[in-house]
Amino acid sequence: MSELPESWSRLHPATFAIRALEQLPQFVLGLPAAAYFIADSGIVVALFFALVGIAVSVGLAYLYWLRFAYHVGEEQLIIESGILNRNRRTIPFDRIQDVSLEQKLLARLFGVSVARIETGGSGGDEGELDCISREEADRLRDRIRAYRAGSSESTAAGEVDVEANEPTLYTMSVGRLLIAGLFNFSLVFLAVLGGVWQYVGSYLPSDYLDPRQWIDTYGEQAVGMMTALPILGFALVLIAIGAITGLARTFAREFDFRLTRTETGLRRRRGLFTRTDVVIPLRRVQAVVISTSLVKRFFGWRGMAVQSLGTDGGAGTNHVVAPLAYAEDLEPILDELGSRLPPPHGHFERVSPRLVYRSWLEDGLVLAAIIAGVSLFWSGGPWLLLLVPFFAIAPVLQYRAHGYCIDDDLLFVRRGFWRPSVMILPLDRAQSASLVRGLTQRGFGIATLAIGTAGASLGSPLRILDLEEPVARRLLGERICPV
Amino acid sequence: MKDEMAVEDVDSGKLTPLDPRQKAVLRVRSIIAGLVPLIILSVGALILERETGFPSLWIIGPGIFLYMATVLLLPERRYRRWGYWQEGRGIRIASGLIVRRETVVPYDRVQHIDISRGPIERFFGVATLTLHTAGSYNSTVDLPGLAHEDAERMRDEIRTFIRHDLP
Repeated sequence: MSELPESWSRLHPATFAIRALEQLPQFVLGLPAAAYFIADSGIVVALFFALVGIAVSVGLAYLYWLRFAYHVGEEQLIIESGILNRNRRTIPFDRIQDVSLEQKLLARLFGVSVARIETGGSGGDEGELDCISREEADRLRDRIRAYRAGSSESTAAGEVDVEANEPTLYTMSVGRLLIAGLFNFSLVFLAVLGGVWQYVGSYLPSDYLDPRQWIDTYGEQAVGMMTALPILGFALVLIAIGAITGLARTFAREFDFRLTRTETGLRRRRGLFTRTDVVIPLRRVQAVVISTSLVKRFFGWRGMAVQSLGTDGGAGTNHVVAPLAYAEDLEPILDELGSRLPPPHGHFERVSPRLVYRSWLEDGLVLAAIIAGVSLFWSGGPWLLLLVPFFAIAPVLQYRAHGYCIDDDLLFVRRGFWRPSVMILPLDRAQSASLVRGLTQRGFGIATLAIGTAGASLGSPLRILDLEEPVARRLLGERICPV
Repeated sequence: MKDEMAVEDVDSGKLTPLDPRQKAVLRVRSIIAGLVPLIILSVGALILERETGFPSLWIIGPGIFLYMATVLLLPERRYRRWGYWQEGRGIRIASGLIVRRETVVPYDRVQHIDISRGPIERFFGVATLTLHTAGSYNSTVDLPGLAHEDAERMRDEIRTFIRHDLP
């Protein structure tokens, strides 16, 4: 502890406690099991190993804490770490986009957070301070901001209450959380239950899964119980569990959702157990997606996410900036993004109606091939013809939901019938564009326009399907990528 | 006459064809690429003949026919579908035999540029120019079959447009 040079800082002492606690379960659970398998030498040996495990994990956590130091300089952040292999990393403030904070449950108890130093570009050196106190994080942020602002009097500027300077753009009330939770209705627990069942089932008597056994034993009773009431009861239980799952997941993730405007971007804080604090620098935002579903749309609800350039070493990240909102709630956020709400449906241009014929042709051929193939092995192949109405209607719905609109410098593309979404792309953020014509498309004289957007793709790439070929060429050459 | 068909594909009506040596590259590639499936097919057919008496020529014959067709006809056709045109501030690249693709990359969206030359390309003196964009779609755009000098010249031209920060 003594050899630490002046002006260098250690991580918050709670780091040591948190790390030790986080590593404990592995050791405590793992070692007795290991001891059991090495020799059945009894509980004493297992306990001994467990104690050794605890000592080792505490020791390692302490060493990690002891050997980790960082220095917030005038122009750079230096991090030294490593127990045996020392690693020194220098991150110039120039390259730091912002500092995002994350608080897991344990960290919240100690009042500390993990600070992630987000640097520009994808890949490259990223820094992580795990964990530092809130005040320390604010000091770091202020230092970087002050450097950016070109002033060296960081302390004077830092004293100003940062929170007050950040106008709130969007928050989620408990009522809205409830609604969002209900929309997140999820029967994922059924899958979990199925997994548990499969696991437990192998330990049950072998005739347990034999249906005949069941019918012999409980058949009479079952018939008696097959009245409407229990079925209704069962359905209600399912619905209740689905709703509770959705609510729990939504509350855990979105609790106290708060989106504010900082100097450089949008700052989002959310979470019940794991509290995250993320800054999305405005200049890195590439596109906006507003999505909804048939039911949500009926009530006027929608959600919004932004596609942002890589901040965590990957291709980029999508950040939800409003999980559930009315159109007017989105306007202030869109204003900050230099964007606008999509124009009303009537302003969108439809794509070519030949989209429908092309889909019919392609799906029809695929379906015919599948039926022919299946019929070789199964006489019920023609039953697959029952799928025809679905394949007949789906393209029509897709066609009606699909459209694009260019308004000044913004491109809006809407698509999806069940889950309608609109992607908003400033035209100067298009990285490249391709005009693609498959075999059938050439026959119908239509072309798909695919546009490369930077950052993580929100689902599939931005595509305008099946435009009339001359229209597609004009869009490509004159609006999307004029070269 | 046939080369003009490729030209019509792009609305500007102008398209620079690839270096003719690229035809040879494509041909050598298709000879190599088709060889392994052909050998597997032949071995399979011979085993089948030994086990069941099914004449192997009935399988190997069409196999060789298909192989010859891909080696003799496809490279020429694929070569004709490739083309590029350098505009003032961007490049337009057309390709694809079955799925036709025309890609426009504005130069100021290029992140960095590679020139790569495999052994076959080196032998014939051509190179592939690869443009990297920040997009998740079209993150790399290849333009193969350039004379090596041309590729280097284009790289140097495009390099002057590259911006060092993203918008």
